[in-house]
Amino acid sequence: MVWTALLIAAAVRMTIPILLTALGATFSERSGVVNIGLEGMMIAGTFWGAFGALKGGPLFGFFLAMVAGMVLALVHAVVSIRFKVDQVVSGTAINILAAGLARFFSIMIFHMATTSPKVNAFAKISIPLLKDIPGLGPMFTDLSPVIIVAFILVPVSAYVLNRTVFGLRLRSVGENPLAADTLGINVYLMRYAGVLISGAFAGLAGAFLAVEHTGSYIEGQTGGRGFIALAAMIFGNWTPGGALAASLLFGLAQAVTLRVQIPGIPYQFIQMLPYLLTIAVLAGFVRKAVGPAADGIPYEREGE
Amino acid sequence: MKRERLFWLQVATPFIAILFAFLIGAVIVVAIGKNPLYVFGTMLAFAFGQIDSLGLILFRATPYIFTGLSVAIGFQLGLFNIGAESQYKVGLFTAAVVGYSFPGLPAIIHIPLTILAGVAGGMLWGLLPIVLKLKRGVHEVISTIMLNYTAVSLLHYLLTGPFLDQNQIGATQRIMRTKFIADSARIPTVHGLTKLLHIPLPNYVHLNYMFFIGIALCAAIYWLIWKTPFGYELRAVAGNQAAAQAAGINVKRTMFITFMLSAGIAGLAGLSEMMTSYGYMSVDFPSGYGFTGIAVALLGKNNPFGVILAALLFGFLERGAEGIQVIAGVPQEVITILQGIIILSVVVAYSILSRYIRIQKKKEAA
Repeated sequence: MVWTALLIAAAVRMTIPILLTALGATFSERSGVVNIGLEGMMIAGTFWGAFGALKGGPLFGFFLAMVAGMVLALVHAVVSIRFKVDQVVSGTAINILAAGLARFFSIMIFHMATTSPKVNAFAKISIPLLKDIPGLGPMFTDLSPVIIVAFILVPVSAYVLNRTVFGLRLRSVGENPLAADTLGINVYLMRYAGVLISGAFAGLAGAFLAVEHTGSYIEGQTGGRGFIALAAMIFGNWTPGGALAASLLFGLAQAVTLRVQIPGIPYQFIQMLPYLLTIAVLAGFVRKAVGPAADGIPYEREGE
Repeated sequence: MKRERLFWLQVATPFIAILFAFLIGAVIVVAIGKNPLYVFGTMLAFAFGQIDSLGLILFRATPYIFTGLSVAIGFQLGLFNIGAESQYKVGLFTAAVVGYSFPGLPAIIHIPLTILAGVAGGMLWGLLPIVLKLKRGVHEVISTIMLNYTAVSLLHYLLTGPFLDQNQIGATQRIMRTKFIADSARIPTVHGLTKLLHIPLPNYVHLNYMFFIGIALCAAIYWLIWKTPFGYELRAVAGNQAAAQAAGINVKRTMFITFMLSAGIAGLAGLSEMMTSYGYMSVDFPSGYGFTGIAVALLGKNNPFGVILAALLFGFLERGAEGIQVIAGVPQEVITILQGIIILSVVVAYSILSRYIRIQKKKEAA
């Protein structure tokens, strides 16, 4: 029982970076921009999160990570919205660029190509009463406060998308940009907003990995989570609540790779689980899911 | 607009984009307190100053010709093969196994067999993404990336387990690698040729015939796309899927064949090194050829001959990067950053160019 609770606690921790990135991706895609560059924005988040935490504590780390994610997101937005370059091409370039930048800065700042020194995380908190439940206690003990914030961001994101004027406009440019434009909504502005929000979320997710989960920046620690988050968003039908459910599934798969050993099965095969699960989920469910109608299509104004 | 002017604009665009990327590179160099003129000057002098360096540029460019061509042929159809990264590694593995499994075969059979094994390995790893795309609508970008990670785990298992060379005699530290391939599976280097031409190419430069195979393959793919019925179908599907379907072209079959070609060509990318300098497949075999191939394809505008030029540029960048690291004390990673910026500036430049052409045409029509 304690073992199961520990596994679930690990699954919740592993859910957070995927969840945060998937929430951000929801904003970007609902505005009509595919963001394959989320992996790169997460990488930027891991590096600048660790750097900031080292210099000014974890809060400063998360702040810097968010800014770094947004800077890369701005590049993606300018290239794909302003210059109407294929969004997948632009995102892929962001991923290559981010990996090179992280390594470069790591050499220049930490004098090590692949790791940073240890950094301090936020003080851990335990939830009163719940932590005393026998058997389930470990799930509510010594939690990173970021975990709680991330879960709160799910209903907040859903509220913003579905119940605010901003959310309505954002969704309208993703569904029918021409109609939105004729109603006086600035299509480009809304799309910039969607992409920048996704960059901010991906940066925070990266900071969580570096500062809260590992306690240092390690090259490659994102391990494709940016792409898995995209799959989670699709599996979650482009909604924050759906992204949460899908992220929990992927988080569990990653926790299994970290904590579960099965005699007779080489660990490398267990390591493949999250990746194969991602493919299986897309193969099994993608047909039912329907994305925003104008997702991935650059918007061209008449006469430009 | 005059055709001639249009042609020169199209030729100039990538160069302007590369220049722009180097300008940003210069800003980074200034930011770390170095003189960009000195750094780029060192890079040029180091890369083009010596015969061994020139040979190494061609040797470095060889894998990029294959991965660049692989990604480019997929792009022709709007298929985004990010999986070239793992397809070449699986191809390396299958080629290495064939390379050591049949000692005593005549080289004239063993070398082609090993190369074909590489193609087969690449195709094998490309099969799932394209089948899932055509049957289940899974976007190939996500599935190929997931298979990249899967391949790393799988190859790690194979190379540290069942296919690990147990008899590494005299080695102080065991390398996680396969057995050495047979001599009959080693592709000849160009030294026979250079001796004949009195070019003093040192022996540590392993430039070999895979380079020429790459060039020939680019020519063959160019011919396939622009001169054959299949190429016509491919271009029809690329232009308008619905129209191609209505004209009786089997769109799915065209996509399947194109993706298999892409994956098979990717399977060749590591062979230039595996069949010469390395002689085996290992866990720490150079990584990243597939990702760089994306940049090469975009820079080459998905044209097979453009791919060759772009691959040569990247070969030069890498060789030059070693120079500036050793001589000027600038980290090699500047070049990775430069690659990312080159992709972005090139695609933006092409986008601006095509818009400019459209506006000019509109003006002429008016």
